[in-house]
Amino acid sequence: MADALKGTVWGWRALFAAVVVGLIYLRLLPLGHQAGAWPAPDFVLCLTCALVLRRPEFVPALLIAAMVLIEDLLLMRPPGLWAALMLMGTEFLRRRAQFSREIAFVTEWIMVAVVMCAMLLGYRLALALVMLPQVAFGHALAQIAGSIAAYPLVVGVLRLGLGLRKPATGELDAMGRRL
Amino acid sequence: MARDNTGQEYTRPVRRILIGMLVLVLLSLFLIWRIDNPRVERLRVALVDRVVPNMEWAMRPVTRATGMIEQFQSYTRVYEQNRELRRELQQMKAWREAALQLEQANARLLDLNQVRLDPRLTHVTGVVLADSGSPFRQSVLINVGARDGIVDGWATMDGLGLVGRISGVGRSTSRVILLTDANSRVPVTVQPSGQRAILSGDNTPLPPLDFIEKSDLVRPGDRIVTSGDGGLFPAGLLVGQVVQGPDRRLRATLSADYQRLEFLRVLRSHEAERIDDTGALIPPPDLPDPDLADPAADLDIAAPDTAEPRAEAADG
Repeated sequence: MADALKGTVWGWRALFAAVVVGLIYLRLLPLGHQAGAWPAPDFVLCLTCALVLRRPEFVPALLIAAMVLIEDLLLMRPPGLWAALMLMGTEFLRRRAQFSREIAFVTEWIMVAVVMCAMLLGYRLALALVMLPQVAFGHALAQIAGSIAAYPLVVGVLRLGLGLRKPATGELDAMGRRL
Repeated sequence: MARDNTGQEYTRPVRRILIGMLVLVLLSLFLIWRIDNPRVERLRVALVDRVVPNMEWAMRPVTRATGMIEQFQSYTRVYEQNRELRRELQQMKAWREAALQLEQANARLLDLNQVRLDPRLTHVTGVVLADSGSPFRQSVLINVGARDGIVDGWATMDGLGLVGRISGVGRSTSRVILLTDANSRVPVTVQPSGQRAILSGDNTPLPPLDFIEKSDLVRPGDRIVTSGDGGLFPAGLLVGQVVQGPDRRLRATLSADYQRLEFLRVLRSHEAERIDDTGALIPPPDLPDPDLADPAADLDIAAPDTAEPRAEAADG
C-alpha cells in the first residue's frame, strides 16, 4: 500500500492517520497492564515530530490536531490539552523545517528533545493550574525520556523502511515545484 | 523564506491566525471539560462506544495470540507446574470438604435465624474489550452498557474479588475504574477487627488503606471486604488481604486476578432505601397538632372516602 501511495501527498497523509490509529489500537489492547508499570514511549509524538521536520506538507496542522484529539478522547486523557500542546510544538518545529535541513541529525535530535520536554512541562503546568491530579513526575519523565530515545528509531524506520528523508536543496516534487 | 511559492507570503499570517484559533478551540475544549465535566465525558463515552466495539474483530486475534505466546512460555516449566498443581489440588480437596461442611452448617444456622439474603443481588457478565491504553490510568472497557441496564457506580467483580466500579456507561460499552486507579476510593472493612478504612488507589499494584481508626488492630493477613458505607457498594464483597509494605504502610493485595481480566461480573446493586427526614416528633394522641401530624395519618383516616373516586379514575 505504501508503494502505491508514495509520492502523493494525500497518500502520505492517509498513511500517517492509519499509523496513528494503529498505535492507539495497540495501546488499547486488553493485555493487562500492571498498575505502576513503566510507560512506553509516545510513538505518535515521535512520528509527528519526525514527519514535520522532513515533509511538513504530509502532516497538516488540522490532521495533527484531529488525530491527537481522537487519541486524547480514546485514552481517557483530558481532551484537547495534549492536542493543543502537540499543535504548538509541531508548529514550532514546522517553522524550523527549512533550518533543520542544514543541521546534523544530532542537533535535530536535541532540538526535538527540547521541544518534547517543553511540551511535558507545559502539560504539567496546565494540569497544575486547573488543579487536576497528576501522574508521578518520575513516570512522566520516563515516558518523555523513552520518546526521546525512540526518536532516532522512528527516523530510521521512516528512512530505511519508507525511504523518507529530508529534501535536498533545490529538489523538485512530482509536480515540478520546489520542495 | 519568500523564495519561490508565490502564495506563501500572503498565506503565512492567515495561517498563523488559523493555527492560533485551532489552539484556542482545543484549549477551550479542555477548559469546558474541566468546568462541565459530565457533558464532555458523555461525548467521550459516545465516541468510545462507537469506535471500540468496531475494533473488536481486530483486537480479538492479537489479544488471543499474545495470550497464547504467554502461555507457551509457561510450557517450558510444565513439569514442575504439574507437580505443583497436583499438590495444590490435594490441598484444595481438603479445603473443599471443609467448605462443604461449613456451608451446610451455615445454611442450618441461617435457617435457624430466619435470615433473608438479598434476592435482588444478581449480576451481568461482560467481556473486557479494551484497556485504558495508558499506564497512568487503570480502567478497562467491557461490552455491556446501558442496553443491558448497567448503571454508573455498580460494583464489578471477577470470579473471586472486587475489581472496581462502573464509571461511564455507553449504549453497548461501559468503563470500569479499577481499584488500583488513582481516582478510586472504596470504603472497606478489615474483617476480624471490623475496622473501617478507605481503600484508595494510587496507581501501584497494592493500593494503600487510608483512614484506619486504630491501625494497631489491623494485622497483615486480615481479610478486606467492602463495608457498604455511603451506599456505594453492597457490603461484604471480598476485596483482598492486608499486607504491610516496607514503608510500614498498610496496603491491600487484591483477590481479583488483575493480570488476567477477561470476564467481569457487574453486580446489579439496587439503591438502598434512604431515610431523608430527620424524624418528626410523635405527639401525644390527645393533643392533635396540625403542623407535626403526619399527612399519611390523615390519609388513613380519610381512606374510606377517597377510595371510591380513585377506583373510578382507574376505570376511566
